[in-house]
Amino acid sequence: MRFVLKRIVAFAVALFVQSIVIFACLRILPGDLAMVIGGTTSTPDQVARIRGQLGLNDPYPLQYLRWLGGVLHGDLGTSQLTGVSVASEIGDRLQITLPLALLSLAVALAIGLPLGVHAVTSRSARVRRTLQVAAIVAGAIPALWGGLLLVMMFGRGVGLIGVLPAQGFPARGWHAFGRALASLALPALSVGVITGAEFMRYTRSALVDVANSDCIAQAMMCGMTRAQAIRRVGLRMVAPQIVSVAGLTFAGMMTGVIVVENLFALPGLATLVMTDLRNRDLLAVQSELLLLTTFFLVMGLVVDVLHHALDPRLKDASEGGGYA
Amino acid sequence: MREGDRKRGGGAPRRKGRVLVVLRSMWHRADGAYALVVIALWLLVSLVSAVWTPHPLIESDGRNAWARPSASYPLGTDGAGHDLLSWLMRGSLTELEVVALVVLCTAACGLLGVWASIGYKSGAGRGSRTWMVCVDTLIAVPTVIVAMVVSVPLGASIAVIVVACAFAYSLSIVRVTRPVAQLAATSQYVEAARSYGVGEARIFFTHIVPAVAPTMAVQLSLSAGTAILAESGLTYLGIGIPAGVPSWGRSLSDCAKLITVYPLTVIWPGVIITAVVVALNLLGDALRDCADPVVNADLRRTMEGGSR
Repeated sequence: MRFVLKRIVAFAVALFVQSIVIFACLRILPGDLAMVIGGTTSTPDQVARIRGQLGLNDPYPLQYLRWLGGVLHGDLGTSQLTGVSVASEIGDRLQITLPLALLSLAVALAIGLPLGVHAVTSRSARVRRTLQVAAIVAGAIPALWGGLLLVMMFGRGVGLIGVLPAQGFPARGWHAFGRALASLALPALSVGVITGAEFMRYTRSALVDVANSDCIAQAMMCGMTRAQAIRRVGLRMVAPQIVSVAGLTFAGMMTGVIVVENLFALPGLATLVMTDLRNRDLLAVQSELLLLTTFFLVMGLVVDVLHHALDPRLKDASEGGGYA
Repeated sequence: MREGDRKRGGGAPRRKGRVLVVLRSMWHRADGAYALVVIALWLLVSLVSAVWTPHPLIESDGRNAWARPSASYPLGTDGAGHDLLSWLMRGSLTELEVVALVVLCTAACGLLGVWASIGYKSGAGRGSRTWMVCVDTLIAVPTVIVAMVVSVPLGASIAVIVVACAFAYSLSIVRVTRPVAQLAATSQYVEAARSYGVGEARIFFTHIVPAVAPTMAVQLSLSAGTAILAESGLTYLGIGIPAGVPSWGRSLSDCAKLITVYPLTVIWPGVIITAVVVALNLLGDALRDCADPVVNADLRRTMEGGSR
């Protein structure tokens, strides 16, 4: 329990520091929203007036406090360019990015775990070797290329077996459930296969590490075969590590899928950040980045707590241990 | 640490012999041999492309736009009549530049970070602990976001890729090598050296750097592979290699537009990127085993033979 409390305090501090870093970094960037709104034909006077209206002339600490105050009250602000509230904009984008990341994670786990286990338990050295090579090669595929290959195979209109849509998201969103799911299939598959290869490598090497441990020997003495022992005992021993990797990978996917989202013309979260950044809509960008950071930190926290819950060995260590 | 002492006592010739032994034992492993061959080919093609490509890069002949693969254009041409093969060849030079810069910057920043993480006078004081909290927080910032923010003042350029990659990879190096560095920093060698009055900087370079070097070499070789993947992604997003500069990511992005015309062309840039990234990853694994005197008996023999 003390461990959890300690982590939550560290989490709050990290979040506060991040908010300052985000705010400061964005203020260093050249150019501002007033110039974007004014356009190329505006006079310096007009730009200055717009800047005054937007509150861009206020001292930075005041701007920071105003933003932070809003965020603490649950108000992420309003995009100064479009007038749409940042929260609803993010909500729209999350409808694509979150299911995409979840689907990709599911695909990755479905591929990576069984094959990773098989790469250790298989009796045939050739199978073990092939799986290992396959994991290394699949992990080295650029996401863009993986997506393109899938489009060539299954994309409607271009593919050999053109059954799945290769572009866009249905306008009605998740109300057209089947079509929405179909439009996420190829992107999720391309991210999932590449990530699955990493999971497989990871599972394999973690299992190899425990395969020679006394626990496995003990299980085999009790009558299990080596494969059974690895599946039942070994997998449980490496579960905490795999949960950590899966959690952090999932967090990384929130922005990591941007290339695939672009390829399949899906307006996702990271694309929103990029567009707003290009327009210098800093109020929107800083809220988006803060939300993303919060998500990463929360995932880190969840993973750590889960790790502790799953691995009783850590309990003793954390009683007296500090942060390091 | 033992290695550090030897290195000072030894000379250039013996170190050279050691490199040869490491290369030879890598050559005898399937993965090491593959890595060496692919990387050698990559270097060769980039050198050749610096002086010669089958077609001039900026040759843009309207009549040849979208040409089918033929004897004169083995991979066909793109919409501007550029020969794809020539662009891929010259792209390997750009890629080499990206990888070299990323690895150098990552190594430099990583060492700085390691130095901060072991703390002044090697005590794990409050400063170094605060720094590790910072590392843990900063490591959560995704590379794409760093690249986006950096691309605002810099525009699309190699610098964006280098900054974003070096930022992320050096932080992970600090995290991975910290236990090793800490162990070296609290060793009796360091204590002894300090009692002789050896300066902090010298202790760092003679005792701590050699201790973290093997771990770092593996991480750097992995980050070289990831840098190539990052290049292709960032270039596709329009914040990596600028338009008009050949690179594998650029060719891949161009081919993405070609997919409805000549689907098979898409295969080449992807195959090249995958092959090289695999080679760099395997290089890391092979290097870890072959450069470790505990695992590699040949190397141990050379080192012991030299010290007699």
